[in-house]
Parts: sequence; structure tokens; C-alpha cells
Amino acid sequence: MLDAEARVRGAVRYAVDLELPDMLIAKVLRSSIPHGRIIRLDASEAETTPGVAAVLTAADFDQPGGPSLMYGANIPDQPVVARDRVNYVGEPVAVVAAQDNASAETALAAVRVEYEEETAVYDPLEASAKGAPALHADHPDNRFVHGKLRQGDVQAGFDAADELIEETFTSPLAQQASLEPHTAVAQWTDGMLNVWTGAQAPYTVRGVLAEIFGIPPEGVRIIVPNLGGGYGGKGHVRIEPLVAAVAWKATGRPVRLTLSRAEEFVTVTKHAAVITIKTGVKRDGTLTARQVTLYWGAGAYADASPGLIRASVPRSVGPYRIPAVRVDAYGIYTNLPPAAAYRGAMSSQCTWAYESHTDTIARRLGMDPLEFRRQNMLRSGEQYCTGETMHDVHFVECLEAAVEGLGWKEPLDRGAGPVRHGRGMAVMLKSSIARSKSECRLVLDTDGILTVYTSTVEMGQGAHTALAQIAAEAVALPLAHVRVVGPDTAITPYDATTSASRSTNMMGTAVLDAAGRLKDRLRQIAAPILEVEAEALSVERGEIFDDSEPESRMSYGEALERSGLDSIEVTGMHATQGGLDPETGQGVATPHWHQGAGACEVEVDIETGKVRVLRFHAASFAGRVVNPSLARLQNDGNVIFGMGPALLEEMVFDQGQLLNPNLSDYMLPSLSDAPEEMGSRLLESSAGEFHGIGEMTLPPVAPAIANAVFDAVGVRIRELPITAERVLRALKGGEGG
Amino acid sequence: MIEFRVNGEVHALDADPARPLLEVLRDELGLRSVREGCGIGVCGACAILVDGRAISSCLTLAGQAEGMDILTVEGLSEEGALHPVQQAYLDRAAFQCAYCTPGFILATVALLKEAPSPDEATVRAHLAGNLCRCGSYRNILEAVRAAASG
Repeated sequence: MLDAEARVRGAVRYAVDLELPDMLIAKVLRSSIPHGRIIRLDASEAETTPGVAAVLTAADFDQPGGPSLMYGANIPDQPVVARDRVNYVGEPVAVVAAQDNASAETALAAVRVEYEEETAVYDPLEASAKGAPALHADHPDNRFVHGKLRQGDVQAGFDAADELIEETFTSPLAQQASLEPHTAVAQWTDGMLNVWTGAQAPYTVRGVLAEIFGIPPEGVRIIVPNLGGGYGGKGHVRIEPLVAAVAWKATGRPVRLTLSRAEEFVTVTKHAAVITIKTGVKRDGTLTARQVTLYWGAGAYADASPGLIRASVPRSVGPYRIPAVRVDAYGIYTNLPPAAAYRGAMSSQCTWAYESHTDTIARRLGMDPLEFRRQNMLRSGEQYCTGETMHDVHFVECLEAAVEGLGWKEPLDRGAGPVRHGRGMAVMLKSSIARSKSECRLVLDTDGILTVYTSTVEMGQGAHTALAQIAAEAVALPLAHVRVVGPDTAITPYDATTSASRSTNMMGTAVLDAAGRLKDRLRQIAAPILEVEAEALSVERGEIFDDSEPESRMSYGEALERSGLDSIEVTGMHATQGGLDPETGQGVATPHWHQGAGACEVEVDIETGKVRVLRFHAASFAGRVVNPSLARLQNDGNVIFGMGPALLEEMVFDQGQLLNPNLSDYMLPSLSDAPEEMGSRLLESSAGEFHGIGEMTLPPVAPAIANAVFDAVGVRIRELPITAERVLRALKGGEGG
Repeated sequence: MIEFRVNGEVHALDADPARPLLEVLRDELGLRSVREGCGIGVCGACAILVDGRAISSCLTLAGQAEGMDILTVEGLSEEGALHPVQQAYLDRAAFQCAYCTPGFILATVALLKEAPSPDEATVRAHLAGNLCRCGSYRNILEAVRAAASG
């Protein structure tokens, strides 16, 4: 990475490190009940607490010239702080800004709130059942989005099948759990709002804040330092409205809000999911039809869910040739913290379902899981259930690379005594964002230094390094001559978001576009000096020259100087068009398909139910690898991250109260969980297009492990995580696939 | 007044002895490599070395630091040159977001002092108290192996 040395020196700066002169500390008072009315909210004593600069409540909103209470980029259903109702434990009710932690804590304790509790609902199926309490009056059935896909005659497909197999899989709420907590600093200066925040989508944050405060987007400046991990949890809009609003009340002084780990747990989660998948198949392994019904528990507010749940529709079917498909995906409000993107967004839950199910089908038919997949996996040129023709897809090669690494054909020692061994595999497809845009600006100066201005967020994935490499190669300069600046919405141009593994593809292509223009400009300014036509000039290795006159050449800097220019500035852009029909799910789901696979060997202790992953081999399709070292870290990181929700991670609630809001009771994978053997393969293609690789080997992890557990001990686990307790219960119950 | 040594320098601070040492190191001494992750001593992001042993500064009270000899990553390199463990992490690209990296490096320094050539099981057990959410564990193991043999 460009700043690798700073990283091992502990010198990289994150949002949590920000200090501004005269800065106040914000603390948030949060709802202690899951659902109900606020019957009294009195902040008067808090306001007079020594050291307190501002106490923000809903009473501060919707006044002339003041901020609006309700916001939401998709559905404006969320208040910055609760007004008369609360919808989950942990919902912000008031925000205090004080000179230090202690005064802020004292003031929080002085805010008087009384609630009247109402019946709450937590499970997405219960919440969408008749008679369930409604969270929002305009959605009486708690359903706020219904994504659909209709392709072919599903009933006819089921009728034509020899076997109909239906299974339901569940996936609980989980934590993105970046080690760096959410932090934002806000300061108002002359009516302009400046926000420093660890956010993955600075332009989305800018747009939402501009709406809340009724100012033009240019009146909001978002600056994003390095992130100490994101994984989707810092996507969309998180704590920025809270800190911007309390800073607005603190008139002029900067305010910082850093969440405690317990607050992290109630700020954003992975969507809970209940997925029922029904497939018709002929005895020879031909798939005839599939129906998928998904209930997504989205928490109390729509947040990023409408887009994510619609995107889950094409992500839920799997990379298989199926002539008739029907998908219904429902977004359901529940009295739990809002859910949003989670590395491998929606695909993790979907792949958990369809890849466990794929093994069930293969076993039912008595077919080898690899052969069954090979027979049915989609190839380039075939049509997906969205009606689009798939290009540059390599699902077969990805899966073969993963199983080859594992040694699928080698005999397996199945173990003796209580410890049994098994192997499993899974493959996944994921769409990126159908319609989105990335812009960048390149500035070349007379010292031959190229600066890439980009709103792509560096969160450890190495995006800035990859973009610098792409720029260096395209502009033909050494990497050491390239700097990357941003995101800072005052100086770096628009980018939709750093998520959905889109940066190397979208921003990388924008950089290529800009680099082409930059070279054109260099040819234009050098042509009159070298006295040749611009078209005859080559731009290579930092020099501009005429192929037929090798003596006559000049460096980029010289060309600038002799043209009387301090710098050359060009912009680049890459945009994709697409989208699916909301009623039929037909259209273009993605500019390109994300592809990944995993294969593993596990051991299962039949006396305790404990599962241990011994070996894991992962493969993804990279199109073109920019940085092999960083790319391997993405594949590895996905596997380790994916082992969390597969084996360990689950937010456990009792009546809406989280029982494990800390990293001791909620365990993340550590080195003691890491497989003894890990393999990573990155596939490339002659097309040479950059593909995203930030998530591809994550969704296969849980189903590959579940399939290996089945292979080892013959029980099918359909609830995540695959805990020892669940495995043991299945073993005792004699439950088999 | 609390007196302790950090990275070779003696500090006498008029700090509340009940404050977490993590806060004092970050806010009073500006040592930003010491980072809070979990706040309860299970993630290792706030690790510091005290007399060569890695401890969680989030669980240590400022008052307990009296007389301690503390080392953070800022004090690890000598005359600007990277410590061999830092160099090994750099060479093996054993990090992504790097929020956890100072804690891992210090825990590795402590491990190699105790066991200069640890086997892999020892490394895993010793570093299980440090979490890397980005999942760079394979490279971390390689870095520890390289530092041990180097």
C-alpha cells in the first residue's frame, strides 16, 4: 500500500484521531424501550449542567430556519432524534455537546424521559403477519418494499419436475464490527457545514445533510480520512445528522461524536433474513423452476434497505440455468436497530440459502455436488433470470479453482472416533450497482507529479493504492510520482459510494478515461514545440516523443513549462445505465457480475457439535488484477470475515434488548479460528476489465461450511450461525438432509 | 501527580487516576497508535508493552501506571529505523485498515521476547487476543514467522 510504512508505525490517522481547537464532545441519550410513546422529555436540567454547550432534542427541529427532523435517502421515515415515539432500544432521543466526557455524561443523566411502552415486534415474519403492531402509520403491514422477479412459467416448471425440494434458511442480525467505531466531527462556519467523518459514501452524506438543514449541497463539505474498517457499516448515512445537528445548536464550535462499542451495536446491523427456496429438478439434474421468497428484517427505519432489498432479488437465485423463476423479496420494519449493507450485502444471506439448497438437491438426486453444479452453472452468453445476457462469467472456473486448491478429487480421511471430517463447496453471483457514476480529476504539474482527486474512500482495501497504480500505468509515470487526494467534497468530484466492490471497476475506469484525456492534452501542447502533428506523438515512460524522430523528446514537466502552464487538469468519468423493471425484475441488474467460490474441509466433533474449519480455498474472478498482494488480502479477508457470521456471530435479543453488545459475548474470528491452510486464486480474463473483488469469496463461506458439515456428519443446518449447540441438537435429533 | 515512563521519556501528569490509561496516552500524550476497539480488553487494539508484556491500556487505570515503563509503537523504532517486527509486517503486507496493527506488532514483540522461535500453535494462542476484522491473519502469521527467523 502507498502508506504501508505509516501503517506499521501507527501513524495513519482515522476519524477517531481528529482534534480541532475548542472541540466539544457529544454523547447520545438512547431509548431504553423497544417501542412506545415518549410522554415526557425534559432537558432543562441537562442544559444547565456545567460544561454543557448544547442539548439537542426533537423540539429543536422544524422551526423557521432550522433543520428538518425527518430524513432518509430512500424513504424519509427516520427522525434525527425521536420526537413522540421510539422504535428500538438504542434509538437516539437527545444529544449533548459538552466540554469533556464527564460533563456530557452528567448532562445525559440529567435528561428526564418517560415512556409508555407498546407491543413490539422483532421477527420479520411476525411483523408482516396480520394484526402485528405497525411501526409506521403509512405502512400498516410493516412492509415497505416488495421486490419482484417474474421469468417463465414457474408452475409449469414445477409440474414438469421429477423432484420438488423446498427449504427455509435463516440468518440473524449481525455486526459489521469495524474496530474503529463510527466517528464524526461537525463544525458550522458562516452558514457552511463542515463534517469530517469515517463514511463510505461522502456524497450521500452531503446530500442528506443538505436536505436536513435546507442548504445547497455545496454548503456542506464532507471530508473522509482513512477508515479503520467499513464493511458496509459506514455506508449510507449513520451518525452524521446527530453530530451536525448538535453542532448547529452549539453555534460555531466543532463537536465530535465517537460511539462506544455498545452504541455501535445499536447503530447499524446486517439484515436478518428468512429465505424460502423451492426448486423443481429432473432426475438427470436439469433444473426446471425456482421460487424464492425472502423476508428481510430491516429494523425500525428504511435507511438503505429499499435499494438493497431490490438488489437482493437478482442476488437470490444463484448462478444457475433455470428456465422459470419467481422471486418475492419483502422489506419488513421491526423494532430493532436499522439494518444496512454488510460486506457481501444481501448475497451472504442469499448464497447461504441457495448454495446449501444446491447441495440438498444434489444429494437428493444422488449426484456429486461438483458435477451437479458444473451441469447447471451459467456460462458466458447465456441468459440470466433477469433476461440479460451474461458476459465474461467464469463461475465454473472459479468453483474449479477453489475445489482444485482443496483437492476435491483426493481421498478424504473422514476421521475416526468423535472427530469426523467433511468437505463442502459453494459458488456465488452478486450484482454490483446497476446505475451509478464515478468521476475523478487528474492534475499533472511541472515536477511531473500526478495527483488523483477522488471521492473513493480508503478503508484498508487499498483502493487508493490501486487507483494510483492504474493512474501511473495509464499516464506512464512511476508510481512514486502519483498522489491520491480525497475524499473531500469541496475538492474531489462526485462518486456514488465506496461499496458493492465497485471502486476499482468504476473509479478505476474513470481514471483510465481521465488518463486518456491527459495524454491527449500532452500531445496537443507538445506538438507545436516538437513541430509535429499531435497524432504522431507517443506518450510513454514520462516522455512525449515522435516515433520517427527518437531524438526529439521531452518530459511532461518540460512540455508544461515550455507551454507556460503550471499544470494540466483533466476530468474523467464512468457511468453505468441499467436497472430492473420493478414488477418483473427484467432488465439489467449490473454492469458486470461478481463471481466467487469457496471449498473447505472441516472437522466436526460429534460429542460437542463443535465445527472447526481446517482448510479453506477461495477463488474470485478479478478480470484484471491490479495489485496481487492486496487482491489476495481481499480474498483472505472475505474468508475470515465470513467465518464470523458462519460460525460465531449473532446479535441475541430478549424483548428487543441486546444481550451481547460487546466483543466478549459477541465473538469475532481470531487467529485461533483461522484455518490451518488457506488458498486464494484470482482469475483473470483476456477482456482485461477491472472486476471488484472486495466481497466475492465471502458469501460462499457459510454454505461451504454447512455443506462440509453435512458431508462429515449427515446433518443439514439451516440456521446461522452454525454453532456447536445447533450441530449437536441436529445430531441428537437425527435430522438429516 | 502520576509519574511514569513512556517510550523512554519520563512524564509527570496531573491526571485523574481513575481515567483509563488509554485516554491519557491518547489525549494527554498524543500517542494515536494506541486505539480503542472494544473497551473491555478483548480486541488488543489498545495494547501497550509494560516491562515487555502486552497489556490492554483500556483496562488499566491511569493511577496504576505510576512507575510503569511503557512502550508504544511510536517508541519501537530506533532513530527512525523500523523495528524488525514492524519491518516483517511491512514486508508481508500483514494489515489492511491497520487499526489493529500497532497492537499486533506489540503483541508479536512480546511473544518473540518470551519465545524467540515459537511454533505456529504458540503464535496463534498468543495472538488470539488481538482481532483483525479485515482478516489479514494469513499474512500476520507469515510476518511473525519472518520476524522470528530474521
